[in-house]
Amino acid sequence: MRSKLASRMLCATFLALSLVVPTALAALPSPAKTAQRVDAAIAEELFGEETPLAPRSDDETYLRRVWLDLVGDIPTPEDVTAFLLDSSTDKRERAVQQLLASPYYGQNWARYWRDVIFSRTIEDRAYIAANAMETDLTGWLNEGVGWDQIAARFITSRGDVQERGSTAILMAQDGRTEETTAEVSRIFLGIQIQCAQCHDHPYDRWKREQFHELAAFFPRVGVRPVRGLTKRSFEVFGTDRFGRNAKKDNDRRPQAEHFMPDLNDPTAAGTQIQPKFFLTSATLPIGASDADRRGQLAEWLTDNEWFAIALVNRIWSELLGEGFYEPVDDIGPDRQASAPAAVQLLAAEFSNSGYDLRWLLETICLTEAYGRESRPRRDSEQTPFTANVPQRLRSDQLMNAILSALEVDESQPANRGGRQFANSPRKQFADVFGYDPSVARESVTLSIPQVLALMNSAQVNRAVTAGRSNMLGRLLTAEADDEQVILELYLCALSRQPSEEEIAQLLAYRDEVDDRQQAFEDALWALINSTEFQHRR
Amino acid sequence: MNPNIQRRTEIALRGNRVVGRRDFLRQMSALGLTAGACNWTDVLSASADELRSRGMACIVLWMQGGPSQFETFSPKPNHNNGGETKAISTSVPGIQIAENLPYCARVMEDLAIIRSLTSKEGNHQRATYLLHHGYLPLGGVKFPTLGSHVAQHIGDAANQLPSCVRIGERLANSGDGGFLGVDYDPFVLRSANSPPENTEPATGRERYLRRLRLLDSIQAKFAAGSGAQVVADQRKLVANAAEMILSPSMAAFDLEQEPAALRAEYGKGDFAAGCMMARRLIEHGVTFVEVVSRGWDTHQDVFTRTRELTAQVDQPMAMLISDLKQRGMLDKTLVVWMGEFGRTPRINPRSGRDHYPKAFNAVLAGGGVSGGQVIGETDDAGALVSERPVSVNDLFRTIYHTLGIDADHENISRVGRPIKLVDGGEVIQELFS
Repeated sequence: MRSKLASRMLCATFLALSLVVPTALAALPSPAKTAQRVDAAIAEELFGEETPLAPRSDDETYLRRVWLDLVGDIPTPEDVTAFLLDSSTDKRERAVQQLLASPYYGQNWARYWRDVIFSRTIEDRAYIAANAMETDLTGWLNEGVGWDQIAARFITSRGDVQERGSTAILMAQDGRTEETTAEVSRIFLGIQIQCAQCHDHPYDRWKREQFHELAAFFPRVGVRPVRGLTKRSFEVFGTDRFGRNAKKDNDRRPQAEHFMPDLNDPTAAGTQIQPKFFLTSATLPIGASDADRRGQLAEWLTDNEWFAIALVNRIWSELLGEGFYEPVDDIGPDRQASAPAAVQLLAAEFSNSGYDLRWLLETICLTEAYGRESRPRRDSEQTPFTANVPQRLRSDQLMNAILSALEVDESQPANRGGRQFANSPRKQFADVFGYDPSVARESVTLSIPQVLALMNSAQVNRAVTAGRSNMLGRLLTAEADDEQVILELYLCALSRQPSEEEIAQLLAYRDEVDDRQQAFEDALWALINSTEFQHRR
Repeated sequence: MNPNIQRRTEIALRGNRVVGRRDFLRQMSALGLTAGACNWTDVLSASADELRSRGMACIVLWMQGGPSQFETFSPKPNHNNGGETKAISTSVPGIQIAENLPYCARVMEDLAIIRSLTSKEGNHQRATYLLHHGYLPLGGVKFPTLGSHVAQHIGDAANQLPSCVRIGERLANSGDGGFLGVDYDPFVLRSANSPPENTEPATGRERYLRRLRLLDSIQAKFAAGSGAQVVADQRKLVANAAEMILSPSMAAFDLEQEPAALRAEYGKGDFAAGCMMARRLIEHGVTFVEVVSRGWDTHQDVFTRTRELTAQVDQPMAMLISDLKQRGMLDKTLVVWMGEFGRTPRINPRSGRDHYPKAFNAVLAGGGVSGGQVIGETDDAGALVSERPVSVNDLFRTIYHTLGIDADHENISRVGRPIKLVDGGEVIQELFS
């Protein structure tokens, strides 16, 4: 452990130093090789000779899967056709790399993290920070900024919440010391230390005092309104200047030090607590500045093994339908991983990669575990990772899929800094279809309002009604062969070719309805409303 | 046969025959019978009364954020902790409540106030979960919410509306059907002042039914493979949703059908509309309705803010009880007013009160509960329960008891562990004397 003085100096030159990291890039572990080692570790830990493994998924399924997972959208019929016709053996690897090089990669994952952070806001007004967060994080991801640096930016942030996306967690928690502490630990370490906030937890090792020691890194942060001539906003700020009036309970102004409330006398001032990082017991002195506290915490936290494990586990869970630990934000030394060696290996190599998220995604996409066919979610007695799992699309993925399948443009200016997200069609869509991505996916269920929105909303029904200027209208005019129409509709919506049976089914339906246009409108409506469309297989 | 059965048998919920029959019908409807081949609701209507045990129903008025007991049902005008809030007399001699609740004071003979509710959870998320499930969140177990349990046990299987409805924007940690399945999820309505969204079929009825049939048939391939569970769930929800929107019972969601004079008596605002809609829904066979009021997290200006909130809640709550009573529905409808915890006895420097689960309030009315009484008491400072503590488990057990549901009924969770509706606790017998 570095001396306090040295670490503080380091903290001051934090960004400069982190520029040294790219020298490690030369030794970047190979994604393909790492994928093989992860598969081998899983097989070693979990599979016997008799364990039934789902076969490798077909090309259509794999392509739609990586599109949704990496760029949050479905491939066009042309993408699908080109991929099927490509006979080279490395086409999956190349498809993954091409998707990771697309700007939509950053946008897709920025939106994922937006949902992680804003699903837990204390007040709705925090949404004014969502646009800047999405924009900035999209940029960082596309530039290839390491996850350690991204985490440090969120933890140490200050500034106008509509201009600085890194303020998002602090804004979402209203700058409140204890809530911010809980979220930083949950999001970046996967550890729910706040359970120890009120009392020592019977099953966990963390004691109440350790939660408050972590909280002691954040007492000098606050959120305050800023009113300019033309706009109103909020600002995340940190301060080291305090008046003589000590902070009273529930006063949300920043305070010089953190106090742990006395449970027997909630009205008393409580005990002054020194900043101490619970995973390593490293401490900062009472009186340390806000910049030192948050800078030092960011460094200690991103250096810790649980930082890498939490991220690797989270992304693995998103891509395979199940993490090594579930739920992804309640892990830690007291939880049992389903394949400990595999997650350790992946986390160690992720750390070696310089916390390179693209490296991690490519590696996971190249594992056999990821590439297998999907099966219904397993029972607790069945072996994990013998198959992939159909995942219900996140709100943004579903909206993109609808827009792509129906060839509709999203008419939304992507200006930064405003309330755009808060008032956008995308947010309205998310109000119905959104869910907290940290929640175990098996508990994310469809609801009647969601079913009704896809069946009956004017937007969907307008788009499935054949007209001169829309996809279906153009298709029906250009293509006289109804089997071809059916093929095209399946490619547009489900990114796959229909089976013989499915073609026969729709041809029979056309004959029954005896109105070509109506029949295919109904077919497109049914495809968009199908469970398969709303999942990534 | 249909893959619905697979999901269903994972949960060994065979105690209630209604579930089996309802499921069977849902499956049949998913296979095309909703599409007009036969009106299965009619088939069942003869036995509808029998199915809905004793015709009981429940309305929860949920105060999100943690209402101050001092400013509502436990004023302490003679102690510093009571602040500026005065107490007023009620229709029951000897019982006083806060001046903020003049309408409730007039129906006190129907209210039973619990002043000694006590828990340990002072965190909004966990406490909201606790007061909706009777359990704290536990990794790996998908506890059903109160309303879903009620819907499963005494819901009217023949009804075309969902058995469990929540009125108010999505409420985090308020729960869903959990391991009971999507059939018992609450149907969430954003506001009672506007009709539920997207309930107008996009085409004429004939074509709509035809489309539903097509949708069902094109799902076969995914249903036969990896999508077995998810398609089964979606088929149920599509069948339930379609049945609802094509049914005449949709009128239950239309407050315009209520006389203007009566609407005025409920008062203005979303909560008032929600209370009135709750009554309409119960009349239309819905079994459990939750109406949400937000903004009770009064860390600042507790006096002014609680006054604003009670102005939205007091009149509709009292009117709901009078209206149910006048229609002869109160005996069979349990009304529960509660939030996730109470607020601190001490007033903080910003004239607010903080979270305080040690001693807080719930109010019960109807469903056979004897009104005009107060259960439990706190000390003069309002800090500690001095008489007859009531735990959250006691409260939940009492709610199930009132509705004629066996709180010791065991469901088997997916991991094979038996889970009672309520673990421990005792019925508050005074409520029925």
